[in-house]
Amino acid sequence: MSSARLAAALAALVVGHTPAVQEATPPLGVVRAGEYRVRPPETPVVVAGAVYDVGAFPLNTPELPAGDGRDATVAMCSVCHSVRYITMQPPLPPATWAATVRKMIDVHGATIPQDVAGRITGYLQTHYGAR
Amino acid sequence: MDRRTALRLLGWGGAGVALGDVASVEPALARALRSAAQGAGDPAWNSGGPLVAYPEKLPLIVLTDRPVQLETPRRYFRDAFTDNAAFFVRWHLDLHPNAVDLSAWRLRVEGNVGRTLSLSFDDLVNRFSPVSVAAVNQCSGNSRSRFTPRVAGGQWGHGAMGSATWTGVRLRELLEAAGVRPGSVDLQFEGLDRGRGPAGRGSHRYLKALRLDDPVLDDGLVAYAMNGQQLPMLNGFPARLVVPGYFATYWMKSLTWIRVLPQPDENFWMQSGYRVPDTPGGGTTPDNVRAGRVTMVPITRMPVRSFIVSPDGTSRVPAGLPTTVRGIGFSGNGAITRVEWSEDGGRSWRDVRLGADHGPHAFRTWEAAWTPRVPGEVSLAVRATDARGDVQRDAPVWNPGGYLWNRIERQVVTVGRSA
Repeated sequence: MSSARLAAALAALVVGHTPAVQEATPPLGVVRAGEYRVRPPETPVVVAGAVYDVGAFPLNTPELPAGDGRDATVAMCSVCHSVRYITMQPPLPPATWAATVRKMIDVHGATIPQDVAGRITGYLQTHYGAR
Repeated sequence: MDRRTALRLLGWGGAGVALGDVASVEPALARALRSAAQGAGDPAWNSGGPLVAYPEKLPLIVLTDRPVQLETPRRYFRDAFTDNAAFFVRWHLDLHPNAVDLSAWRLRVEGNVGRTLSLSFDDLVNRFSPVSVAAVNQCSGNSRSRFTPRVAGGQWGHGAMGSATWTGVRLRELLEAAGVRPGSVDLQFEGLDRGRGPAGRGSHRYLKALRLDDPVLDDGLVAYAMNGQQLPMLNGFPARLVVPGYFATYWMKSLTWIRVLPQPDENFWMQSGYRVPDTPGGGTTPDNVRAGRVTMVPITRMPVRSFIVSPDGTSRVPAGLPTTVRGIGFSGNGAITRVEWSEDGGRSWRDVRLGADHGPHAFRTWEAAWTPRVPGEVSLAVRATDARGDVQRDAPVWNPGGYLWNRIERQVVTVGRSA
């Protein structure tokens, strides 16, 4: 993937909040799920009837340090979870980061091209690896 | 990858996530909050994330923001029951509910049953006899950050636990109403959360199962209340499974489907996730794992644990001043029968006074009078014994998932001169 295309993909991901989601067959009774905002509104959510609504959940996602593979890491990992999953880890051995990226692809079905997976693994090993 | 591909990867029509615009937590404020909530003296008791107030919650320690995982600060364990607003949070999939419509929501009991049930919240509350149990809900990975060598996963301190009175309907009563058919093997549970991974993967649905012949089912509840109030959205509103004695991985939040299966559930969260070595105490070594010498089985009951809650090391204590050491103990293998404490790092032990008994599954508070005599550093320690006779040991456990930590806990306190 070229860096320009990656940047475009990343731009598509960067919005101020996640809007309400619509699944083809939404789980029974779910009005909204997976709504997160950097700054949730301070006014309480207005609820009516049998709807129980707590509003958006606050986002608190750190920025990853610059480096080769950073944008790919942010774009791919953030599909399913925020990169706080990365920043909370202790320094991990190179093989552990490689296995973690493989697990996301092989077990969890992340659609990451092989060359991009290699760059993500390299970035994680460089910036979050055990020495 | 083009924009459309990116949107497809995200699923559900291009829901996005904020990446660059980081919520700013004033560092000085964060330090002050942390100090007040956790005790500056022992910052390692909890994990190190920022304190953030979520809907229906007090400021809790953020492990991850999407999906939400929040740890309870140490001070809230002074009580036998954990405030709903302080109770830890752990979701696996990022599309967990913000809003639920009880006019549409139904608890379904289906699969290999004589009669499929579809029960409203009102049905659960009013058509069955309410049953209450006080029970500890503890994440399998509580204290994972203590592991040596460290393992990947949620880096919890000790605050991924809580004790509450859960009120709801007996699982057995629901199963009897539905009529489990002969040849059934497993009960599968699913809640309202979904992930953005592809269908059929653990990243899309979170599913857990219990064997139908597991005696723990006799204690199981579908709880619609927690400490006498509705469940917070982040703790599984409108109802969650309660499995007293078992780790929280089975306590399905926003429980909506109970499926009776004629075969063992082989989904990711049973077959690969939440498994521990089939050894006494669930421990092994990295070498054994690398050599493929470890048989893994699903995690089940919580080993005996105990904690010192105060003193927490925040301040020095003056020699000669009578004070009190306080804490909690619990076990998934029966009531706490004994708690002992030590003021010499575990060389000698004395019995504590146990607090009120809230049943075999709940936190048991304890306290001990202590008058420190000699200025300098003192290492307090605590160990508990449960009804099965298990005693906490001063030995670390290690397994690849980072589960089952129950080593003897210590608190270093500095005793100051009083004259």
